[in-house]
Amino acid sequence: MNDKISLSIPTKSEYVSVARLTSSVIANNMGFDIEDIEDIKVAVGEACNNAVLHTENYEHTFDLSFFAETQKLIIEVKDNGRGFSLDHYKEPDLEHPKEHGLGIFIMKSLMDDLEIESQVGEGTSIRMIKYLK
Amino acid sequence: MALEIQKVFNNESNVWDISLAGDVDIVSSVELKENVNVLLDKEEKGLHINCEELMYIDSTGLGVLISLLKRVKKNGNDIELTNAQPNISKLLKITGLDKIFIMK
Repeated sequence: MNDKISLSIPTKSEYVSVARLTSSVIANNMGFDIEDIEDIKVAVGEACNNAVLHTENYEHTFDLSFFAETQKLIIEVKDNGRGFSLDHYKEPDLEHPKEHGLGIFIMKSLMDDLEIESQVGEGTSIRMIKYLK
Repeated sequence: MALEIQKVFNNESNVWDISLAGDVDIVSSVELKENVNVLLDKEEKGLHINCEELMYIDSTGLGVLISLLKRVKKNGNDIELTNAQPNISKLLKITGLDKIFIMK
């Protein structure tokens, strides 16, 4: 199997739920179990939250792609927002939680693989993988 | 799914009893924060949040809970989370928040 599903989504928070629902249907169709489907939903939600929160213009869109392969689901989220400096990313101190900064940590924890590319002024690209058990 | 918030002040236990139903995400977390801050403006007490019908929460929702916890702790109070579904419990555990909130 090698199917690509692509969405172009306005960088508005009300559309993040569209991305989450789409991801859960695709994951369910692929045969992921309930726990993995929930993990994927949250991770996709976090990546899309990032695109919306870093946008400079609410008329823009971001791209969400699903690559449904035989043994894994690859998800890519690409935006043209203001980007951020990965050098400044620090793992959250879980004993002193802050209100922001948990998104990347959650994606890393729930997915099997995570790659993020981002540069200030050049947008962000997130690629994550979940393997079928 | 949107978010429904039920709230009532419990005179016996002197806390705000809150029930959440639906999703706390980038959209509804704003509403949750505003709603609960209004309650705390009336009575700066602790919160007991029944999560039995809470189906989804993400970092935006967790951020709101953390901000509410900071406020209630300033008055010597806590937040108790009860009846969390497995997916919610898992997220609270991964983020270490199961040690910061009182889990029941």
